Amino acid sequence: MTKAAKVMVPAIKVTRLHKTFSCCKALDGVSLDINPGEMVALIGASGSGKSTLLRHVAGLAVSDAGPQGGSIEALGRPVQACGRLAADIRTTRARIGFVFQQFNLVGRLPVMTNVLTGSLGRLPLWRSLSGLFPLEDRERAFDALTRVGIPETAWQRASTLSGGQQQRAAIARTLVQRAQIILADEPIASLDPESSRRVMETLATINAEDKTTVVVCLHQVDFAIRYCPRTIALKKGAVIYDGPSAALTPSMLRDLYGAEADELGAGIQGSASFVTGETAALAAAAG
Amino acid sequence: MSTALDTARLSPPPRQSLAKLLVWGLIFTVLAASWSGAEIRPWALITDGANMGTFMADFFPPNFSDWRYYLEEMLITLQIAIWGTALAVVCAVPFGLLCAENVAPAWINQPVRRLMDSFRAINEMVFAMLFVVAVGLGPFAGVLALFVHTTGILAKLFSEAVEAIDPRPVEGIRATGANALEEVVFGIIPQVMPLWISYSLYRFESNVRSATVVGMVGAGGIGVVLWEIIRGFYFAETCAVMLIIIVTVSLIDIASSRLRKLFI
Repeated sequence: MTKAAKVMVPAIKVTRLHKTFSCCKALDGVSLDINPGEMVALIGASGSGKSTLLRHVAGLAVSDAGPQGGSIEALGRPVQACGRLAADIRTTRARIGFVFQQFNLVGRLPVMTNVLTGSLGRLPLWRSLSGLFPLEDRERAFDALTRVGIPETAWQRASTLSGGQQQRAAIARTLVQRAQIILADEPIASLDPESSRRVMETLATINAEDKTTVVVCLHQVDFAIRYCPRTIALKKGAVIYDGPSAALTPSMLRDLYGAEADELGAGIQGSASFVTGETAALAAAAG
Repeated sequence: MSTALDTARLSPPPRQSLAKLLVWGLIFTVLAASWSGAEIRPWALITDGANMGTFMADFFPPNFSDWRYYLEEMLITLQIAIWGTALAVVCAVPFGLLCAENVAPAWINQPVRRLMDSFRAINEMVFAMLFVVAVGLGPFAGVLALFVHTTGILAKLFSEAVEAIDPRPVEGIRATGANALEEVVFGIIPQVMPLWISYSLYRFESNVRSATVVGMVGAGGIGVVLWEIIRGFYFAETCAVMLIIIVTVSLIDIASSRLRKLFI
């Protein structure tokens, strides 16, 4: 019963979101619903607004002011409406983990402390400011590091880690947060292929085991198809495709990436062949 | 033909060299204009050379007979510098953060910056004279003078370090649902710590130097001794005190620069 009731509330609900930068329109009336437990890829060319959209969902950016700005709800709580953040935004942010392209760890702090900052949202001020994290949180942080596969780095400075390790530490931070949604903004754009695969695999595992809703903004279409059952494609700040990743066709991708298709040509060709090759396998996995 | 092109490429464009010439011209004009105002009389060094020789001779050999007293006063001077710097560092942390554009809004950072400007604008000697009147003769007046002046300087340096941080880790902390104070403690302070420590140690060095002069207006330490013996024409003793100051200041400089290297 409760499960059914939960399904009624989308994890993320974006309604007619508009965002204008001084140069151009970044988001042009974006509306979308993402259900709890989904793993969704957000794809689009550079400047299509996918990062901007994710930052709005986490309340790290605000939409255009006034009623035309639109609204966002996450986990049944308002994040922002009409260009104003909700009053309880910090409580909502604590339930949403954010993974950044540049990891956004504090380089001079140990990995452990970086991961422990995931608990800041629920700790009383005296504890967080004194740095006396409760034993339970420290255990949780170590478990999270073990889960993402880098427990041996716990007491190293974050800046000494490789890019892939830093990104996994950033994911561990969202685990300590006990985030019900993970938003990942181009998490693999600065990584080599092997690290990229591991980071995506980690996100997929968390999605499968913890039923955490995951929204990944990606540049590489083949990763979207491989790891995310659903893809939302943005072009010039508007949703132009929202559906199963397996149904993406080469012509759709060519339209999506426009002029960039030439430079991404090989990748798109690759993903297209990947689609045709993998559709059967996906169908089999679903069955 | 190609050689002519190459030589042209090797010398700076004409506009640039003209600007350089103008800057040099300006520098020499300012120096010449200030000559009479500053009463520069280089020949006085030659004509009064004999006098200066006699005067210098009075300094040697230095008279260390009161060395215990000098060292005690030197120690007090160090203690003035230590407390003046420590109090200033503690106050410069919040003031420095409030001065930073990326931490506090303009309606806070502008008034705080002006307050820090006024702390900095007035020399520690002037503050020392004021505090001698307020709290009486002695080292405490010196501590307060150094404290106020150094707070103004450190707050500015600290805030410049804060303004130069990488904003991304701070956003990473914000995304966890942390409040503003937690963003500062976990996102900003770890980034600026090496610079803050380095600036504080540097100010401690300069405060040891300043503490030797605030004594001259009665604010305690070796400066008081120095002032009295200079006024009494005890030049051999003056020489001894100056040597003690030079050695102490050099030792502190060496120690603190070693220490600073550890934090960078």
